[in-house]
Amino acid sequence: MVEKEHRTPIESGNRGNPTPQWELFVRQEAGEPMYHVGSVAAASGAEAHEHASRLFGRDAVDIWCCPAAEVDRYSVRGLASDADDRGSDEPHIDEETADTPRVRES
Amino acid sequence: MISISKLLCDLDAEGDGLRYDAAEGSSKPQITEEKQRRPVVVWNTTRRCNLYCSHCYAGADLEAGAGEFSTAEAKAFLEQLADYGAPVILFSGGEPLVRDDLVELVDYAADLGLRPVLSSNGTLITPEKAAALRDVGLKYAGISVDGLPERNDEFRGEEGAFDAAVRGIENCLDAGLKTGLRYTITEANAADLEAVVELLADVGLDRFCFYHLDYGGRGADIADLDLSATEKRAAVERLCELTLEYHDRGEEIETLLVGNYADAAFLVEYARETFGEAKAQVVYDHLERNGGDPTGERVADVDYEGNVHLTQFWQGYSLGNVRDRPFGEIWEDESNPLLGALRNREEHLTGRCGDCQYQSICRGGSRLRALADTGDLFAPDPQCYLTDDERRGDGAGSIVGGTAD
Repeated sequence: MVEKEHRTPIESGNRGNPTPQWELFVRQEAGEPMYHVGSVAAASGAEAHEHASRLFGRDAVDIWCCPAAEVDRYSVRGLASDADDRGSDEPHIDEETADTPRVRES
Repeated sequence: MISISKLLCDLDAEGDGLRYDAAEGSSKPQITEEKQRRPVVVWNTTRRCNLYCSHCYAGADLEAGAGEFSTAEAKAFLEQLADYGAPVILFSGGEPLVRDDLVELVDYAADLGLRPVLSSNGTLITPEKAAALRDVGLKYAGISVDGLPERNDEFRGEEGAFDAAVRGIENCLDAGLKTGLRYTITEANAADLEAVVELLADVGLDRFCFYHLDYGGRGADIADLDLSATEKRAAVERLCELTLEYHDRGEEIETLLVGNYADAAFLVEYARETFGEAKAQVVYDHLERNGGDPTGERVADVDYEGNVHLTQFWQGYSLGNVRDRPFGEIWEDESNPLLGALRNREEHLTGRCGDCQYQSICRGGSRLRALADTGDLFAPDPQCYLTDDERRGDGAGSIVGGTAD
């Protein structure tokens, strides 16, 4: 098999908002393929499964919950590669509010 | 979003094309000529906020979150939205003004043809910042205030927050920016509602959006502060009366309700009692075109790390991440059984939502509240306040199906 394009890694270390994200994979019927159905925020795998069961349990025979930050991702596309030509990759925080943000007085 | 002033007073507004397919014939410039086919996208630009509000759906904090978009990533994300045809980008947070590239990003969004609007606590909006945002094409600033000064400051975790927010509102108005209030109604602040409208109308504000509490983020922790069904109904009825009183005096304030589509059915009932069957039919028809609760359809949310959510309140579940796949591809992927089920929710609703005559204008209200309250995604919305007679059309009669003339 020939690779069509060069895949690059996609950042996956910070995937909690701030609770850790768990990627969900579901098999709806026995014998069918398993596929990705998004992610849930949960403190543990057991909690992620509980959350996922409420959302997908009515359909699924198998549910896998994988720590999002542990998934290595490679793609020929992605937000970061689209942004590569634009320079700085640091988040921008207003210096005036960078230390101890407070309500502005004037 | 349900506009009381549009439905009861026929007051045109720029958002009517999005909400009611009512652009044609309006005297206001409209956001879209056709009914909106793509979602309004709420973007939590940062987790960081200078306040710590008890009801924050985003769980915002004084500290920045890891994984926030760089300026370059943010621009690539805005391009994804423009490519997909999203009509509106709502810069939200955290507090979006803590990003020093906010003006640059609003400028970029406007250049791409997105309509940039802002959701802010208002406390960091100086005259200079308001003017800069206006100059790059910001179309609207929604500023959050949740009660009179003492109550608001307690809710927002910062003394002086009320006064600072009002200064932010005045700065926006002075800059000529369309500006509105965002007010989340809870048991703690329902009593302040009229006084806040009066106070802010006096400073020149003419748009007031009232949010019901949804049970996402820290909102879930204060669910016990939510109004009871009876109190909720009374608050909405008072807002209807207030809107009519202002309009009777010639003050054309715009009033809107967000987050509980039982309000849609209530407005039909209110229009019937106040104006008669014909007006109730007009209100119903507008609301049917509006399409009911927008979860997973007309509103989307992307958090500061790129996770795509069904609305801004659904932070606990993500359909995918825009760092992995473009936004439009994620939003269109109905192989996701949850997305598919929500978009066909009428087939799944149970209990009092399952056989309600107002299902086509409400669509079961908040599925998130149902999930948080019962664990069942398709159980009735616990904050529906309609009576059984209203749900069944047993009382004054039913206009569903167009029986009124």
